[in-house]
Amino acid sequence: MRKKINPWLAGNIPLLVAVALPAALFLSVLVYFAGWAITFSFTDLETIGRKSVNWDWVGLKNYIRLFTRQGFLQSLWVTVIFTFFSAVIGQTIIGFLLAVALRGKRGLLKTTVEVSIMLGWLLPDIVAAFLWSASASQTGLINRVIIEPLGFAPINFMNDYALVVVIIANTWKGSAWSYLLFSAALDAVPKEIIEAAKVDGTTPIQRLWKVVIPMIRPHIATNMLFITIWTFTYFPLIYALTGGGPGNDTNVLAIFLYQTSFDVHRLGYGSAISVAMLLIVGALSIFYLRLLKEPK
Amino acid sequence: MSNVRLENVSKTYGDMKIIHGVDLAINEGEFVVFVGPSGCGKSTLLRMIAGLEDITGGHIKIGDKIVNDMPSPQRGIAMVFQSYALYPHMTVRRNMAFGLEISKCPKDEIEERVNNAARILQLEPYLNRMPKELSGGQRQRVAIGRAIVREPKVFLFDEPLSNLDAALRGQTRLEIAKLHSSLGATMIYVTHDQVEAMTLADRIVVLNGGRIEQVGTPLELYSSPANAFVAGFIGGQKMNFMPASSRDGKLQLGQRVLPFSVSSSVTKVGIRPEHLQVSTPEDAHLSGRVEYVEMFGDHTLIHFETEDLGLITVKVEDSSDIKENEPIYVKLLAERLHLFDDSGRVHDAISH
Repeated sequence: MRKKINPWLAGNIPLLVAVALPAALFLSVLVYFAGWAITFSFTDLETIGRKSVNWDWVGLKNYIRLFTRQGFLQSLWVTVIFTFFSAVIGQTIIGFLLAVALRGKRGLLKTTVEVSIMLGWLLPDIVAAFLWSASASQTGLINRVIIEPLGFAPINFMNDYALVVVIIANTWKGSAWSYLLFSAALDAVPKEIIEAAKVDGTTPIQRLWKVVIPMIRPHIATNMLFITIWTFTYFPLIYALTGGGPGNDTNVLAIFLYQTSFDVHRLGYGSAISVAMLLIVGALSIFYLRLLKEPK
Repeated sequence: MSNVRLENVSKTYGDMKIIHGVDLAINEGEFVVFVGPSGCGKSTLLRMIAGLEDITGGHIKIGDKIVNDMPSPQRGIAMVFQSYALYPHMTVRRNMAFGLEISKCPKDEIEERVNNAARILQLEPYLNRMPKELSGGQRQRVAIGRAIVREPKVFLFDEPLSNLDAALRGQTRLEIAKLHSSLGATMIYVTHDQVEAMTLADRIVVLNGGRIEQVGTPLELYSSPANAFVAGFIGGQKMNFMPASSRDGKLQLGQRVLPFSVSSSVTKVGIRPEHLQVSTPEDAHLSGRVEYVEMFGDHTLIHFETEDLGLITVKVEDSSDIKENEPIYVKLLAERLHLFDDSGRVHDAISH
């Protein structure tokens, strides 16, 4: 075992302790919170009223409720759709296509595109939510500039297509990350391999599909891992845009969790929701980490 | 198999002219080596033949077809890259088969060609391995195998040995030579290593600054270089150059007038270290003090400092008992002396 100690640290016990201490502290806080959530997911703890003090153990009741009551399953479905279309499809594909298209390009076009997608990423969620809300509303920019001049009646996108608006907004907001990651990944593909593929007679599409994508597969999996986790638990932009509505159209798990815990005050049930989310994200992560492994 | 013709081929990047109107005819089955210092345009020229670089001016013909605007795969070429450029996610077998799969070659023919190439290159035990499980030399052979299966009219090699260590380089060089004689294919080979050029080539093309300095067999370039650049570039040991002039029709080197007739425009002479001989003081043309001695076992290089001609190197067979700081006397083999004028062009041969 001795050999496994990082050579930077080996033989320097005080340094080892000094470095390990904050990590240990951090870990214990993490374990404490997770333990807290798991523990109280078996209770009927509420944030106000009698149950905030005199809570009872309820066993698996909260978990059974996840599957028997309206709410969780519906919210899970919305979250899956939201994550699949805005992250797995939207951000990944747009980020990848931009990275491929702008590859090796210089000058104004590239700068313009990079700045605009970075702006989306850097803009605070609340500001972005306001912009999208203002653009997509009945009297907003899209209706004024596109729909009405074409002679159609104005559409209230925020009402009729809330989930679509939220998906597009999140795609726009998150594509920069995928773009940056894929740009770096493409840089790592040697030029001569691309040229060899050219000499081998591949079309650009074949080159991308049969050579480049298999080579950057670990990067794709890494990207998927990150953005799936982020999107699956994403809260502020959607909450600020729609508050989960209209109805439950955009009520993703993060919002459902928030409402259950702090609007309806049922913290025990909320804890069970968060534990369920943890398990789902954990399962997805294992799936992606498998993909990450290089083929034998 | 096919011949290759370059007609006034040029290449410009923006305002920078990289290749200045190159003319060259490469015969069927010939092994031609492009050699020159880095930045001389040899790789660019090869890549233009491969179809990886646009041609700014002139024509490139493979067979009887002008290929200027033809995409690489249709040119009937195969290229071996410096970094091997194997597909890291494919087995050795698929690396070799990939180009054929893309061109919709029938499966059994792919199989046959790949097995054949694997047999020639002794890659059979490795067909199902991934490139990262192979050594540098094996990867290089896979890269060559990928070229062979295409059965190209012309093989193009871009510094294929420069990533190998010295021992392997010698061995692979030999294998490439054998491959050429067994396939009889036209091969164009780029290198900056003049040993590779000398040993592999039927003809060498010496490039400098985007121009051809000389084209010829290795022996022609060695014994009658067209100019000072070629003379200095080709040869195992670097040629000695000395400032010279003509006095009363005789060669003057520094203070010495030697009994060789030369024309009046001579400004420089060159002689290879192996064409100098250590001699007695009476027979000597040059003399000096030994700076340092390099022993190679089979031969020795003696570098000596002259009073007025700079540092000069002599090659002697076997070992030598000459010590550093001792005086040395050296004779020139007059018929091996190269005379250059102001422009660096070679001058008429020496007469006695």
